[in-house]
Amino acid sequence: MTSHFLLHFRPKRIPKDALRFTLTWGLGGMAALMIVQQLFSGVLLGFFYEPHPVQAYESVQHIQSKVFLGQLLRNLHHWTGHALVIVVFLHMLRVFVSAAFYPPRHWNWLVGLGLGLLVLIANFSGYLLPWDQLSYWAVTIAISMLGYIPVLGMGLQNIIRGGEELGAATLQLFYTIHTTLIPLALALLMVYHFWFVRRAGGVLLSPAKKENTVETTKREYVSFAPELLVREIAFAAMVSCALLLFSMLVNAPLGNIANPALTPAAVKAPWYFLGAQELLLHVPAVFAVFVVPLVLVLFLGLIPFVGQKNGEPSPLVKFLFYGTLALLVGLTITGIWFRGPGMQLVWPW
Amino acid sequence: MAMVKTPQPTSRRGFLTRLWIGLGVVAFLQILATTVLSLLSGRKRSQTGQDQIIEVGKLSDFPPGSVTFIALGHLYLCHLDTGGFLAISRKCTHLGCAIPWVTERKQFECPCHASVFDITGKVLKSPAPRALDLYPISFKRNQVTINIGKSIKRSTFKTEQLAHPQELS
Repeated sequence: MTSHFLLHFRPKRIPKDALRFTLTWGLGGMAALMIVQQLFSGVLLGFFYEPHPVQAYESVQHIQSKVFLGQLLRNLHHWTGHALVIVVFLHMLRVFVSAAFYPPRHWNWLVGLGLGLLVLIANFSGYLLPWDQLSYWAVTIAISMLGYIPVLGMGLQNIIRGGEELGAATLQLFYTIHTTLIPLALALLMVYHFWFVRRAGGVLLSPAKKENTVETTKREYVSFAPELLVREIAFAAMVSCALLLFSMLVNAPLGNIANPALTPAAVKAPWYFLGAQELLLHVPAVFAVFVVPLVLVLFLGLIPFVGQKNGEPSPLVKFLFYGTLALLVGLTITGIWFRGPGMQLVWPW
Repeated sequence: MAMVKTPQPTSRRGFLTRLWIGLGVVAFLQILATTVLSLLSGRKRSQTGQDQIIEVGKLSDFPPGSVTFIALGHLYLCHLDTGGFLAISRKCTHLGCAIPWVTERKQFECPCHASVFDITGKVLKSPAPRALDLYPISFKRNQVTINIGKSIKRSTFKTEQLAHPQELS
Protein backbone atom coordinates (compact mmCIF):
# COMPACT_ATOMS: atom_id res chain seq x y z
CA MET A 1 0.00 0.00 0.00
CA THR A 2 2.88 2.34 0.85
CA SER A 3 4.31 1.92 -2.62
CA HIS A 4 0.96 2.70 -4.22
CA PHE A 5 0.71 5.87 -2.16
CA LEU A 6 4.24 6.94 -3.03
CA LEU A 7 3.77 6.28 -6.72
CA HIS A 8 0.91 8.73 -6.79
CA PHE A 9 3.39 11.43 -5.86
CA ARG A 10 6.44 10.13 -7.60
CA PRO A 11 7.10 8.18 -10.79
CA LYS A 12 9.00 4.91 -10.57
CA ARG A 13 11.91 6.30 -12.50
CA ILE A 14 13.16 9.86 -12.37
CA PRO A 15 15.73 11.80 -14.40
CA LYS A 16 19.15 11.61 -12.82
CA ASP A 17 19.42 15.40 -12.99
CA ALA A 18 16.49 15.71 -10.62
CA LEU A 19 18.71 14.37 -7.84
CA ARG A 20 20.80 17.53 -7.84
CA PHE A 21 20.15 19.35 -4.60
CA THR A 22 20.86 22.82 -6.01
CA LEU A 23 17.88 22.47 -8.33
CA THR A 24 15.35 23.10 -5.56
CA TRP A 25 17.49 23.56 -2.45
CA GLY A 26 14.92 21.20 -0.96
CA LEU A 27 12.75 24.18 -0.06
CA GLY A 28 9.39 22.77 -1.17
CA GLY A 29 10.05 19.49 0.59
CA MET A 30 11.24 21.34 3.65
CA ALA A 31 8.02 23.37 3.78
CA ALA A 32 5.92 20.21 3.43
CA LEU A 33 7.86 18.48 6.18
CA MET A 34 7.46 21.45 8.47
CA ILE A 35 3.72 21.68 7.86
CA VAL A 36 3.29 18.00 8.75
CA GLN A 37 5.42 18.54 11.84
CA GLN A 38 3.26 21.54 12.80
CA LEU A 39 0.15 19.37 12.51
CA PHE A 40 1.57 16.85 14.95
CA SER A 41 2.96 19.31 17.49
CA GLY A 42 -0.21 21.41 17.16
CA VAL A 43 -2.48 18.46 17.96
CA LEU A 44 -0.36 17.67 21.03
CA LEU A 45 -0.54 21.29 22.23
CA GLY A 46 -4.28 21.26 21.55
CA PHE A 47 -4.76 18.62 24.25
CA PHE A 48 -3.72 21.16 26.89
CA TYR A 49 -4.63 24.56 25.47
CA GLU A 50 -7.84 26.36 26.55
CA PRO A 51 -9.11 29.04 24.17
CA HIS A 52 -10.44 31.56 26.70
CA PRO A 53 -8.69 34.83 27.64
CA VAL A 54 -7.45 34.08 31.14
CA GLN A 55 -7.26 30.29 30.92
CA ALA A 56 -5.36 30.54 27.64
CA TYR A 57 -2.37 32.18 29.28
CA GLU A 58 -2.52 29.85 32.27
CA SER A 59 -2.77 26.77 30.06
CA VAL A 60 0.32 27.87 28.12
CA GLN A 61 2.14 28.26 31.44
CA HIS A 62 0.85 24.81 32.40
CA ILE A 63 2.20 23.35 29.14
CA GLN A 64 5.58 24.91 29.78
CA SER A 65 5.95 23.93 33.40
CA LYS A 66 3.88 20.79 34.04
CA VAL A 67 3.55 18.88 30.78
CA PHE A 68 6.38 16.45 30.05
CA LEU A 69 8.60 18.10 27.41
CA GLY A 70 5.87 20.73 27.08
CA GLN A 71 8.27 23.64 26.83
CA LEU A 72 10.15 21.90 24.04
CA LEU A 73 6.90 21.09 22.27
CA ARG A 74 5.77 24.71 22.38
CA ASN A 75 9.21 25.94 21.30
CA LEU A 76 9.18 23.57 18.36
CA HIS A 77 5.71 24.66 17.25
CA HIS A 78 6.60 28.33 17.72
CA TRP A 79 9.94 28.36 15.91
CA THR A 80 8.86 26.02 13.14
CA GLY A 81 5.90 28.33 12.50
CA HIS A 82 8.18 31.31 12.04
CA ALA A 83 10.75 29.35 10.04
CA LEU A 84 7.95 28.12 7.79
CA VAL A 85 7.12 31.67 6.71
CA ILE A 86 10.75 32.18 5.69
CA VAL A 87 11.04 28.80 3.94
CA VAL A 88 7.83 29.36 1.96
CA PHE A 89 9.09 32.81 0.96
CA LEU A 90 12.43 31.37 -0.23
CA HIS A 91 10.64 28.52 -2.01
CA MET A 92 8.60 31.06 -3.95
CA LEU A 93 11.69 33.08 -4.72
CA ARG A 94 13.46 29.98 -6.04
CA VAL A 95 10.51 29.16 -8.29
CA PHE A 96 10.56 32.69 -9.67
CA VAL A 97 14.31 32.69 -10.28
CA SER A 98 14.16 29.43 -12.22
CA ALA A 99 11.04 30.71 -14.09
CA ALA A 100 9.21 27.54 -13.12
CA PHE A 101 5.83 29.28 -12.94
CA TYR A 102 5.13 29.30 -16.68
CA PRO A 103 2.78 26.79 -18.31
CA PRO A 104 2.31 23.93 -17.68
CA ARG A 105 3.03 24.96 -14.06
CA HIS A 106 1.03 28.20 -14.03
CA TRP A 107 -1.93 26.82 -12.06
CA ASN A 108 0.43 25.34 -9.54
CA TRP A 109 2.01 28.76 -9.03
CA LEU A 110 -1.46 30.03 -8.09
CA VAL A 111 -2.04 27.08 -5.73
CA GLY A 112 1.36 27.89 -4.22
CA LEU A 113 0.37 31.52 -3.70
CA GLY A 114 -2.75 30.28 -1.90
CA LEU A 115 -0.62 28.01 0.27
CA GLY A 116 1.71 30.90 1.03
CA LEU A 117 -1.21 33.07 2.18
CA LEU A 118 -2.54 30.19 4.28
CA VAL A 119 0.83 29.83 6.01
CA LEU A 120 0.77 33.55 6.80
CA ILE A 121 -2.77 33.34 8.19
CA ALA A 122 -1.82 30.23 10.16
CA ASN A 123 1.07 32.05 11.77
CA PHE A 124 -0.93 35.20 12.44
CA SER A 125 -3.90 33.34 13.96
CA GLY A 126 -1.52 31.34 16.14
CA TYR A 127 0.17 34.53 17.28
CA LEU A 128 -2.75 35.52 19.50
CA LEU A 129 -3.24 32.20 21.25
CA PRO A 130 -0.72 32.54 24.15
CA TRP A 131 -2.66 35.67 25.21
CA ASP A 132 0.34 37.48 26.63
CA GLN A 133 1.10 41.19 26.27
CA LEU A 134 3.18 40.64 23.13
CA SER A 135 0.53 38.65 21.29
CA TYR A 136 -2.37 40.81 22.45
CA TRP A 137 -0.88 44.10 21.31
CA ALA A 138 0.81 42.80 18.18
CA VAL A 139 -2.54 41.45 17.00
CA THR A 140 -4.32 44.66 18.09
CA ILE A 141 -1.99 46.66 15.85
CA ALA A 142 -2.29 44.24 12.93
CA ILE A 143 -6.11 44.24 13.09
CA SER A 144 -6.16 48.04 13.47
CA MET A 145 -4.25 48.25 10.19
CA LEU A 146 -7.29 46.66 8.50
CA GLY A 147 -9.32 49.69 9.59
CA TYR A 148 -7.61 51.74 6.88
CA ILE A 149 -9.11 49.64 4.07
CA PRO A 150 -11.72 51.88 2.41
CA VAL A 151 -15.43 51.04 2.89
CA LEU A 152 -14.97 47.47 4.16
CA GLY A 153 -12.21 48.09 6.70
CA MET A 154 -14.20 49.03 9.78
CA GLY A 155 -16.76 46.26 9.28
CA LEU A 156 -14.05 43.68 8.68
CA GLN A 157 -12.24 44.82 11.79
CA ASN A 158 -15.37 44.43 13.92
CA ILE A 159 -16.14 40.98 12.50
CA ILE A 160 -12.61 39.76 13.24
CA ARG A 161 -12.49 41.30 16.70
CA GLY A 162 -16.11 40.55 17.52
CA GLY A 163 -16.44 43.98 19.14
CA GLU A 164 -14.53 47.15 19.82
CA GLU A 165 -11.58 45.47 21.43
CA LEU A 166 -9.81 42.13 21.38
CA GLY A 167 -11.55 39.68 23.70
CA ALA A 168 -13.00 36.22 24.11
CA ALA A 169 -14.74 36.39 20.72
CA THR A 170 -11.49 37.23 18.95
CA LEU A 171 -9.61 34.43 20.64
CA GLN A 172 -12.32 31.90 19.82
CA LEU A 173 -12.32 32.94 16.16
CA PHE A 174 -8.53 32.79 15.89
CA TYR A 175 -8.44 29.44 17.65
CA THR A 176 -10.99 27.87 15.30
CA ILE A 177 -9.28 29.29 12.22
CA HIS A 178 -5.88 28.19 13.46
CA THR A 179 -6.80 24.67 14.49
CA THR A 180 -9.52 23.69 12.02
CA LEU A 181 -9.89 25.80 8.94
CA ILE A 182 -6.23 26.37 8.12
CA PRO A 183 -4.99 22.77 8.60
CA LEU A 184 -7.88 21.48 6.49
CA ALA A 185 -7.28 24.00 3.70
CA LEU A 186 -3.52 23.42 3.83
CA ALA A 187 -3.94 19.65 3.54
CA LEU A 188 -6.30 19.93 0.56
CA LEU A 189 -4.20 22.48 -1.30
CA MET A 190 -0.97 20.57 -0.61
CA VAL A 191 -2.41 17.49 -2.28
CA TYR A 192 -3.15 19.60 -5.36
CA HIS A 193 0.26 21.22 -5.18
CA PHE A 194 2.06 17.85 -5.21
CA TRP A 195 -0.21 16.40 -7.83
CA PHE A 196 0.43 19.35 -10.16
CA VAL A 197 4.17 18.91 -9.76
CA ARG A 198 3.84 15.22 -10.60
CA ARG A 199 1.65 15.97 -13.64
CA ALA A 200 4.14 18.53 -14.95
CA GLY A 201 6.79 15.78 -14.86
CA GLY A 202 8.50 16.41 -11.55
CA VAL A 203 10.74 19.31 -10.65
CA LEU A 204 11.75 21.65 -13.46
CA LEU A 205 15.10 20.61 -14.88
CA SER A 206 17.34 23.26 -16.35
CA PRO A 207 17.01 23.27 -20.15
CA ALA A 208 19.68 21.53 -22.20
CA LYS A 209 22.73 23.70 -22.61
CA LYS A 210 23.30 24.99 -26.12
CA GLU A 211 26.88 23.85 -26.61
CA ASN A 212 26.17 20.17 -26.04
CA THR A 213 22.62 19.73 -27.23
CA VAL A 214 23.33 16.34 -28.74
CA GLU A 215 24.44 14.80 -25.49
CA THR A 216 21.72 16.17 -23.26
CA THR A 217 18.74 15.40 -25.46
CA LYS A 218 18.72 11.96 -23.91
CA ARG A 219 18.37 12.13 -20.16
CA GLU A 220 19.66 9.44 -17.89
CA TYR A 221 17.04 7.89 -15.62
CA VAL A 222 17.41 6.27 -12.20
CA SER A 223 14.93 4.61 -9.83
CA PHE A 224 13.00 6.81 -7.47
CA ALA A 225 13.59 4.31 -4.69
CA PRO A 226 16.18 4.26 -3.34
CA GLU A 227 18.08 7.01 -5.21
CA LEU A 228 15.80 9.99 -4.47
CA LEU A 229 13.96 8.52 -1.48
CA VAL A 230 17.11 8.01 0.56
CA ARG A 231 18.32 11.53 -0.17
CA GLU A 232 14.96 12.97 0.84
CA ILE A 233 14.83 11.03 4.08
CA ALA A 234 18.34 12.14 4.96
CA PHE A 235 17.48 15.76 4.20
CA ALA A 236 14.24 15.57 6.23
CA ALA A 237 16.21 14.16 9.16
CA MET A 238 18.68 17.04 8.98
CA VAL A 239 15.94 19.67 8.88
CA SER A 240 14.12 18.06 11.82
CA CYS A 241 17.36 17.92 13.79
CA ALA A 242 18.10 21.58 13.13
CA LEU A 243 14.61 22.65 14.25
CA LEU A 244 14.75 20.45 17.32
CA LEU A 245 18.19 21.73 18.28
CA PHE A 246 17.12 25.34 17.94
CA SER A 247 14.01 24.65 20.03
CA MET A 248 16.13 23.03 22.74
CA LEU A 249 18.34 26.10 22.95
CA VAL A 250 15.89 29.00 22.57
CA ASN A 251 12.60 29.28 24.44
CA ALA A 252 9.52 30.68 22.74
CA PRO A 253 8.74 34.06 24.31
CA LEU A 254 5.93 34.35 26.85
CA GLY A 255 5.47 37.78 28.42
CA ASN A 256 3.05 38.91 31.10
CA ILE A 257 -0.63 38.08 30.74
CA ALA A 258 -2.47 40.33 28.28
CA ASN A 259 -3.59 43.60 29.85
CA PRO A 260 -5.98 45.63 27.67
CA ALA A 261 -5.29 48.72 29.79
CA LEU A 262 -1.55 48.82 29.30
CA THR A 263 0.29 48.90 26.00
CA PRO A 264 3.93 47.93 26.53
CA ALA A 265 6.56 50.24 25.06
CA ALA A 266 7.86 49.43 21.60
CA VAL A 267 5.15 46.99 20.68
CA LYS A 268 5.09 45.93 17.05
CA ALA A 269 2.96 43.89 14.68
CA PRO A 270 4.17 40.34 13.88
CA TRP A 271 7.48 40.63 12.03
CA TYR A 272 6.12 39.59 8.62
CA PHE A 273 3.71 42.54 8.75
CA LEU A 274 6.39 45.01 9.80
CA GLY A 275 7.04 45.89 6.14
CA ALA A 276 3.45 47.13 5.93
CA GLN A 277 3.70 48.83 9.32
CA GLU A 278 6.91 50.56 8.24
CA LEU A 279 5.30 51.62 4.96
CA LEU A 280 2.42 53.05 7.01
CA LEU A 281 4.84 55.62 8.43
CA HIS A 282 5.87 56.89 5.00
CA VAL A 283 2.83 56.77 2.71
CA PRO A 284 -0.92 57.38 3.15
CA ALA A 285 -2.47 54.56 5.15
CA VAL A 286 -4.75 53.31 2.39
CA PHE A 287 -1.68 52.57 0.23
CA ALA A 288 0.25 50.77 2.91
CA VAL A 289 -2.46 48.39 4.07
CA PHE A 290 -4.66 48.06 0.99
CA VAL A 291 -3.34 49.21 -2.38
CA VAL A 292 0.20 47.87 -2.05
CA PRO A 293 -0.70 44.37 -0.71
CA LEU A 294 -3.52 44.06 -3.27
CA VAL A 295 -1.30 45.08 -6.20
CA LEU A 296 1.40 42.74 -4.91
CA VAL A 297 -0.93 39.72 -4.81
CA LEU A 298 -2.43 40.60 -8.21
CA PHE A 299 1.05 41.02 -9.70
CA LEU A 300 2.20 37.65 -8.35
CA GLY A 301 -1.02 36.03 -9.56
CA LEU A 302 -0.65 37.47 -13.06
CA ILE A 303 3.03 36.88 -13.81
CA PRO A 304 2.55 33.38 -15.25
CA PHE A 305 0.24 34.86 -17.87
CA VAL A 306 1.92 38.08 -18.99
CA GLY A 307 5.33 39.43 -19.87
CA GLN A 308 6.99 36.20 -20.96
CA LYS A 309 10.01 36.29 -23.27
CA ASN A 310 11.44 32.94 -24.46
CA GLY A 311 10.39 31.16 -21.30
CA GLU A 312 11.93 33.90 -19.14
CA PRO A 313 10.22 36.83 -17.44
CA SER A 314 10.64 40.03 -19.47
CA PRO A 315 13.11 42.61 -18.11
CA LEU A 316 10.20 44.74 -16.91
CA VAL A 317 8.64 41.89 -14.91
CA LYS A 318 12.06 41.01 -13.48
CA PHE A 319 12.71 44.63 -12.56
CA LEU A 320 9.33 44.97 -10.85
CA PHE A 321 9.72 41.68 -9.00
CA TYR A 322 13.23 42.27 -7.71
CA GLY A 323 12.53 45.95 -7.04
CA THR A 324 9.48 45.13 -4.92
CA LEU A 325 11.38 42.32 -3.23
CA ALA A 326 14.25 44.63 -2.27
CA LEU A 327 11.79 47.23 -0.98
CA LEU A 328 9.80 44.68 1.02
CA VAL A 329 12.89 43.10 2.57
CA GLY A 330 14.37 46.54 3.29
CA LEU A 331 11.20 47.80 4.96
CA THR A 332 10.76 44.61 6.97
CA ILE A 333 14.36 44.68 8.21
CA THR A 334 14.01 48.37 9.14
CA GLY A 335 10.79 47.57 10.98
CA ILE A 336 12.26 44.63 12.88
CA TRP A 337 15.64 45.92 13.92
CA PHE A 338 15.81 49.68 13.40
CA ARG A 339 12.68 50.82 15.22
CA GLY A 340 12.84 51.33 18.95
CA PRO A 341 10.29 52.62 21.48
CA GLY A 342 7.83 55.05 19.94
CA MET A 343 8.95 53.92 16.46
CA GLN A 344 12.07 56.08 16.69
CA LEU A 345 14.88 55.04 14.39
CA VAL A 346 17.52 53.29 16.46
CA TRP A 347 20.59 51.16 15.89
CA PRO A 348 19.98 47.50 16.71
CA TRP A 349 23.15 47.28 18.80
CA MET B 1 -26.34 29.08 -47.72
CA ALA B 2 -27.66 29.43 -44.27
CA MET B 3 -29.28 26.48 -42.63
CA VAL B 4 -32.15 27.07 -40.31
CA LYS B 5 -31.13 25.58 -36.98
CA THR B 6 -33.88 23.53 -35.50
CA PRO B 7 -33.79 23.57 -31.71
CA GLN B 8 -32.70 20.17 -30.46
CA PRO B 9 -35.15 18.69 -28.00
CA THR B 10 -33.46 18.08 -24.66
CA SER B 11 -32.83 14.44 -24.02
CA ARG B 12 -34.04 12.88 -20.80
CA ARG B 13 -30.44 12.39 -19.68
CA GLY B 14 -29.51 15.99 -20.46
CA PHE B 15 -32.53 17.25 -18.58
CA LEU B 16 -31.72 15.15 -15.52
CA THR B 17 -28.08 16.25 -15.57
CA ARG B 18 -29.10 19.87 -15.59
CA LEU B 19 -31.64 19.23 -12.88
CA TRP B 20 -28.99 17.66 -10.64
CA ILE B 21 -26.56 20.52 -11.24
CA GLY B 22 -29.29 23.06 -10.54
CA LEU B 23 -30.30 21.33 -7.32
CA GLY B 24 -26.66 21.08 -6.33
CA VAL B 25 -26.21 24.82 -6.77
CA VAL B 26 -29.35 25.49 -4.72
CA ALA B 27 -28.14 23.16 -1.96
CA PHE B 28 -24.71 24.84 -1.96
CA LEU B 29 -26.25 28.30 -1.68
CA GLN B 30 -28.49 27.13 1.16
CA ILE B 31 -25.55 25.73 3.10
CA LEU B 32 -23.53 28.89 2.43
CA ALA B 33 -26.37 31.16 3.56
CA THR B 34 -27.11 29.20 6.73
CA THR B 35 -23.40 29.08 7.56
CA VAL B 36 -22.97 32.84 7.17
CA LEU B 37 -26.19 33.58 9.07
CA SER B 38 -25.30 31.32 11.97
CA LEU B 39 -21.80 32.81 12.12
CA LEU B 40 -23.12 36.35 12.19
CA SER B 41 -25.96 35.75 14.64
CA GLY B 42 -24.30 33.64 17.28
CA ARG B 43 -21.05 35.41 18.04
CA LYS B 44 -20.59 36.88 21.45
CA ARG B 45 -19.71 40.50 21.07
CA SER B 46 -19.41 43.51 23.26
CA GLN B 47 -22.43 45.77 23.13
CA THR B 48 -21.82 48.49 20.61
CA GLY B 49 -24.19 51.10 19.30
CA GLN B 50 -26.57 50.55 22.21
CA ASP B 51 -26.71 52.94 25.11
CA GLN B 52 -24.62 51.82 28.03
CA ILE B 53 -24.64 54.46 30.73
CA ILE B 54 -22.16 54.35 33.59
CA GLU B 55 -21.96 56.62 36.63
CA VAL B 56 -18.42 57.71 37.28
CA GLY B 57 -18.68 59.96 40.35
CA LYS B 58 -19.61 63.35 41.76
CA LEU B 59 -18.78 66.58 39.94
CA SER B 60 -16.50 67.64 42.79
CA ASP B 61 -14.37 64.48 42.27
CA PHE B 62 -13.04 65.97 39.05
CA PRO B 63 -11.49 69.41 39.70
CA PRO B 64 -10.61 71.66 36.76
CA GLY B 65 -7.42 70.57 35.00
CA SER B 66 -7.80 66.95 36.09
CA VAL B 67 -7.58 63.88 33.88
CA THR B 68 -9.11 60.78 35.48
CA PHE B 69 -8.87 57.27 34.05
CA ILE B 70 -12.23 55.48 34.14
CA ALA B 71 -11.29 51.78 33.98
CA LEU B 72 -14.81 50.51 33.35
CA GLY B 73 -15.21 52.51 30.16
CA HIS B 74 -11.58 52.40 29.01
CA LEU B 75 -11.65 56.19 28.84
CA TYR B 76 -10.38 59.38 30.43
CA LEU B 77 -12.63 62.01 31.94
CA CYS B 78 -10.96 65.36 31.34
CA HIS B 79 -12.04 68.56 33.07
CA LEU B 80 -10.43 71.47 31.24
CA ASP B 81 -9.02 74.49 33.08
CA THR B 82 -11.33 76.62 30.99
CA GLY B 83 -14.32 74.59 32.20
CA GLY B 84 -16.16 71.90 30.33
CA PHE B 85 -15.80 68.10 30.38
CA LEU B 86 -14.65 65.61 27.77
CA ALA B 87 -14.85 61.81 27.97
CA ILE B 88 -11.95 60.71 25.79
CA SER B 89 -11.36 57.16 24.55
CA ARG B 90 -8.11 55.51 25.57
CA LYS B 91 -7.69 53.93 22.15
CA CYS B 92 -5.19 55.57 19.78
CA THR B 93 -6.80 56.41 16.45
CA HIS B 94 -3.69 55.23 14.61
CA LEU B 95 -3.44 51.51 15.40
CA GLY B 96 -5.50 51.01 18.55
CA CYS B 97 -2.88 51.02 21.30
CA ALA B 98 -3.87 52.12 24.81
CA ILE B 99 -2.65 55.65 25.46
CA PRO B 100 -1.39 56.75 28.88
CA TRP B 101 -1.78 60.33 30.17
CA VAL B 102 1.65 61.77 30.94
CA THR B 103 1.21 64.13 33.87
CA GLU B 104 4.60 65.86 33.59
CA ARG B 105 4.03 67.02 30.02
CA LYS B 106 0.23 67.20 30.31
CA GLN B 107 -0.45 65.22 27.17
CA PHE B 108 -1.44 61.75 25.90
CA GLU B 109 1.55 59.90 24.44
CA CYS B 110 1.09 56.69 22.49
CA PRO B 111 3.72 54.05 23.30
CA CYS B 112 3.43 52.39 19.87
CA HIS B 113 4.17 55.06 17.28
CA ALA B 114 4.70 58.16 19.40
CA SER B 115 1.51 59.99 18.46
CA VAL B 116 0.82 62.83 20.89
CA PHE B 117 -2.57 64.32 21.84
CA ASP B 118 -3.39 67.27 24.08
CA ILE B 119 -5.91 67.23 26.94
CA THR B 120 -8.78 67.72 24.47
CA GLY B 121 -7.66 64.67 22.45
CA LYS B 122 -6.48 66.83 19.55
CA VAL B 123 -3.51 65.45 17.57
CA LEU B 124 -0.29 67.29 18.39
CA LYS B 125 1.98 64.85 16.61
CA SER B 126 1.12 62.32 13.87
CA PRO B 127 0.95 59.48 12.69
CA ALA B 128 -2.50 59.47 14.36
CA PRO B 129 -4.92 60.57 11.64
CA ARG B 130 -7.60 62.19 13.84
CA ALA B 131 -8.45 63.26 17.38
CA LEU B 132 -9.27 60.63 20.02
CA ASP B 133 -12.89 59.41 20.09
CA LEU B 134 -15.37 60.92 22.52
CA TYR B 135 -18.24 59.54 24.59
CA PRO B 136 -21.36 61.55 25.45
CA ILE B 137 -21.43 62.96 28.99
CA SER B 138 -24.48 63.97 30.96
CA PHE B 139 -24.93 65.37 34.45
CA LYS B 140 -27.65 64.25 36.82
CA ARG B 141 -27.87 65.89 40.26
CA ASN B 142 -24.12 66.49 40.54
CA GLN B 143 -23.42 62.96 39.23
CA VAL B 144 -21.36 62.58 36.08
CA THR B 145 -22.59 59.81 33.76
CA ILE B 146 -21.03 58.65 30.51
CA ASN B 147 -22.60 56.65 27.70
CA ILE B 148 -19.83 54.19 26.86
CA GLY B 149 -21.95 52.40 24.26
CA LYS B 150 -21.71 55.26 21.81
CA SER B 151 -18.30 56.46 20.67
CA ILE B 152 -18.17 59.66 18.65
CA LYS B 153 -15.56 59.95 15.91
CA ARG B 154 -14.19 63.41 15.19
CA SER B 155 -11.39 64.88 13.13
CA THR B 156 -10.29 67.49 15.65
CA PHE B 157 -11.35 69.31 18.82
CA LYS B 158 -14.11 71.92 18.66
CA THR B 159 -15.46 73.86 21.64
CA GLU B 160 -19.02 72.62 21.04
CA GLN B 161 -17.80 69.11 21.97
CA LEU B 162 -17.38 70.22 25.59
CA ALA B 163 -20.03 69.20 28.09
CA HIS B 164 -20.93 71.83 30.69
CA PRO B 165 -22.72 70.93 33.94
CA GLN B 166 -24.31 74.37 34.29
CA GLU B 167 -26.22 73.98 31.03
CA LEU B 168 -28.62 71.64 32.76
CA SER B 169 -28.96 73.46 36.07
